[in-house]
Amino acid sequence: MIKVKSPRDFGAGLLFILIGLGGFWFGRNLNIGIASRMGPGYFPMMLSGLIAALGLLVMIKSFAIDGPEIEKPQLRPLFFIVLSMLAFGYLIERIGLAFSVAVMIIIATFARRAKFDIKETLLLAIGMGVFAVFVFIYGLGQTLPAWWGK
Amino acid sequence: MDLGFLNNLIDGFIAAGSLNNLFFCLIGCMLGTLIGVLPGIGPIPTIAMLLPVTYGLGPLTSLIMLAGIYYGAQYGGSTTSILVNMPGEASSVVTCIDGHQMAKQGRAGAALGVAALGSFFAGCVGTVFIAAFGPPLAAFAQKFSSPEYFALMVLGLVTAVVMAHGSLVKAVAMILIGLLFGLIGTDVNTGVQRFTFGVEELWDGMDFLPMVIGMFGIVEIIKNLEGPEVARQAMSTRIRDLWPSLQDFKDSWKAVLRGTLSGSLLGIVPGGGVVLASFAAYTIEKKLAKDPSRFGKGAIEGVAGPESANNAASQTSFIPLLTLGLPSNAIMALMMGAMMIQGIAPGSAVMQTRPDLFWGMVASMWIGNLMLVIINMPMIGLWVKLLSVPYRLLYPAIIMFCMIGIYSTSSSFVQIVLTAIFTGFGYLLLRLDCEPAPLILGFILGPLMEENLRRSMVLSRGDPMIFFSRPISATLLVLALIVVALIVLPQFRKTREVAFVED
Repeated sequence: MIKVKSPRDFGAGLLFILIGLGGFWFGRNLNIGIASRMGPGYFPMMLSGLIAALGLLVMIKSFAIDGPEIEKPQLRPLFFIVLSMLAFGYLIERIGLAFSVAVMIIIATFARRAKFDIKETLLLAIGMGVFAVFVFIYGLGQTLPAWWGK
Repeated sequence: MDLGFLNNLIDGFIAAGSLNNLFFCLIGCMLGTLIGVLPGIGPIPTIAMLLPVTYGLGPLTSLIMLAGIYYGAQYGGSTTSILVNMPGEASSVVTCIDGHQMAKQGRAGAALGVAALGSFFAGCVGTVFIAAFGPPLAAFAQKFSSPEYFALMVLGLVTAVVMAHGSLVKAVAMILIGLLFGLIGTDVNTGVQRFTFGVEELWDGMDFLPMVIGMFGIVEIIKNLEGPEVARQAMSTRIRDLWPSLQDFKDSWKAVLRGTLSGSLLGIVPGGGVVLASFAAYTIEKKLAKDPSRFGKGAIEGVAGPESANNAASQTSFIPLLTLGLPSNAIMALMMGAMMIQGIAPGSAVMQTRPDLFWGMVASMWIGNLMLVIINMPMIGLWVKLLSVPYRLLYPAIIMFCMIGIYSTSSSFVQIVLTAIFTGFGYLLLRLDCEPAPLILGFILGPLMEENLRRSMVLSRGDPMIFFSRPISATLLVLALIVVALIVLPQFRKTREVAFVED
């Protein structure tokens, strides 16, 4: 029975192989051409092949050489930070910069494991929302919807 | 040597000395110091974050400001290293070792003073370095055509891999993935769309902002949130006189000179840059010291050397970018991106077509270094106070700046979604021990490499031997091969592992 000795390398190898295969798959309709007249597919296919090959190499190595375990991911910070970003992007057209910043900040505070401090969070959210409008719209003249969206 | 560069340098000072440029130089230096002081946000996401703000400025002004952020960060990083034993930047990790010991012995003033003056001296030398070596290199690069450029990029990327820490194979793979990502968009030669998945925002190629901010800025925040919150406590001792004593000068001037020299050289090497420079300088000082046991207990050379080295390197790392169009590290790749956004193709032509740009930037670095010394000495107290802002208030603000920066360039939700995707990708890379910096390098160079490979192959009618039949490209590729051969040698491998062990 072959055993993975270095999980991180195994994962990285797998990731590289997937990216390489992805390059092949999504570029399958690109014309490769010949060396003297390269088509749009030539360089991408070359790269995808190399990436997949390196992935294989890293993966094979992971069976031979010991390495550290993959740290268990903590989903809380990742989830709430990404959610706060998406919320901002989705809401800014609809409710304007000030409010979408406030919403983003409130969601982002949940990324911490510590106790939720309502007063501090609200103060920060309101303060940042107002600050953003003054700095970016009035100060730097960016064309963003300020208070209520378009 | 041709001394004509002095005239050019004077023109540069005139260009950089305009009130507008001085103002943005100051802003850049202050922002740089600020992020240098604050741990948890490095120069890469900051420069990326501020790129949109520079769109409205002229090319010279925006480059002056972005460069100021970069070398300002080196100054700021040393302040927190010495006073709080917490490096704001990776390049000031070694400064902690002896700098903080000095602070504990009540010599914080001397350490800060030596760091600032050493940095200033190194910055001046770095500026002269660029002024002196830039033009000949650029003139040399004028002889380059596609095969040489392709060979140069290969050499640059190979060297960058060797200098990166972590697994070599993974670093190569990261560069290749970056190159592949760089090809996303419409192929310039045929008009065919590649890897755009029908997303309109990708037709002109992928913006590097979402990628850089996601992989560096946001992932950094997530990483910090996963760890326990650290209380940052500054030294309670008062910083009395910032001016080092005569004895301190005597003890440190040689270290400053050595640090400046090694830093200037390491800055030019692709993949070198500030982190390597400061580590190398520390090692050199420790090796050369009569009594190495003093190191780690507050040896002033251990502050003077690395601090001079990282500042010198931050200046000279502009040389390959400005003369050859080759970014030597991820930050230079961002600068290259900034130049391209302004419609300037970095490389040897810049010095001919836009001499004001090259010389103005060189001059601004000197001015900026002077500003940093003058401003920062009295402001150290304020910077230290800033450290007491808790991270729980800081990180939402950082996310806000990142998101507004991305959204304001495109007003499109898609860019935010892309940022989220790259955050996830960057997080995955973090868990799998893959250093993301080489990816940026590849990403910026991707389209250029393909274009030069294509043209070379057209020139030679498909014969790859063209790279070896032309003397310059052959030399560059042989150098690349030597570098590769060196990596495989066990002796060198061991040295490399040791060199990064203090990380």
